[in-house]
Amino acid sequence: MFLIRCPWCGERDVSDFSYGGEAHIARPADSDAMSDSAWADYVFLRTNPKGVHAERWNHQAGCRRWFNMLRNTATDDILAVYKMGETPPQVSANLPATPSGEAAIGSGNDAAKVMTTEEGRGEGGGK
Amino acid sequence: MAEPRTSFRRSPLFHRRPLEGEAGAVRIAERPFLGKFILRADAQAASDRLRAALGLGLPSEPLMSASQGDISFLWLGPDEWMLVTAQAEAKERASTARGVLVGVHHQLADVSDYYTIIEVAGPRARELLMKLTTLDVHPRVFRGGMVAGSMFGRANAFLWLPLAARDANAFNLFVRWSMADYLWCLIADAGREWGVPEETPIKGETLTIG
Repeated sequence: MFLIRCPWCGERDVSDFSYGGEAHIARPADSDAMSDSAWADYVFLRTNPKGVHAERWNHQAGCRRWFNMLRNTATDDILAVYKMGETPPQVSANLPATPSGEAAIGSGNDAAKVMTTEEGRGEGGGK
Repeated sequence: MAEPRTSFRRSPLFHRRPLEGEAGAVRIAERPFLGKFILRADAQAASDRLRAALGLGLPSEPLMSASQGDISFLWLGPDEWMLVTAQAEAKERASTARGVLVGVHHQLADVSDYYTIIEVAGPRARELLMKLTTLDVHPRVFRGGMVAGSMFGRANAFLWLPLAARDANAFNLFVRWSMADYLWCLIADAGREWGVPEETPIKGETLTIG
């Protein structure tokens, strides 16, 4: 089981919760004056890091309250849980080595990692 | 239909008879028509006024309930509680609560027909619930007076263990009307190993409304 500690209810199974996307994205105050590309950045573009990610979660089946979480996206370690409106605590995360040397952002290509460890096979290696 | 219709109040599980396992290992029954109200308010502002009017304040701890006679407040969230009360006094108590909360930013919504309660009681009640939910219902964790929402099978429900119950294991499951029959069948099925009999709904498998 994957347990999440709700700030109100304590540890519950992940099936109680729903994910709410990246946290701390403030809606622009002057959206009328914004360019289309700046608006698209706000609506669609997310940081998608490998490592510590601040995200929103909702305890949907329990107290139905939103809260924030810092999660290591590479290992799924939950580093901190804090209430809405609070400042995120300082945390550090260990990132596993990436044998294929992918960029820190946008790496989900496990196939590439496997292929580079088996030397001389194929052209799909991630170098 | 030929005969004239008379108006009657139908509970969500009116077509289900109470069930019992072997030697009372588990007992399953609906508690229909209790008065239920969702209260949203600031705890500090509301609690003292409610205590003065109803003789019962809001529970101070998360996941706990407070009971006095047949009135209970169940914690559902940091600014949300459910007032549970006997059917006969429900309207009167709600208007009393509304009266004392004048001037406090609040909301009191009647959800008596939105939820029904399935009572799961008996010495095997905890084990039965363990089969349906990821909640920890071990007596070390889930103590008398506690309230917790979670998934039971595919149904979202609030589990409450009233402190002053006749039976120390008389769990109350608050489930929405449309999911009540599903959860009833799931509980009855989970109770088979303790001898809960197979059951055909009153009036057969076809639900007749009217």
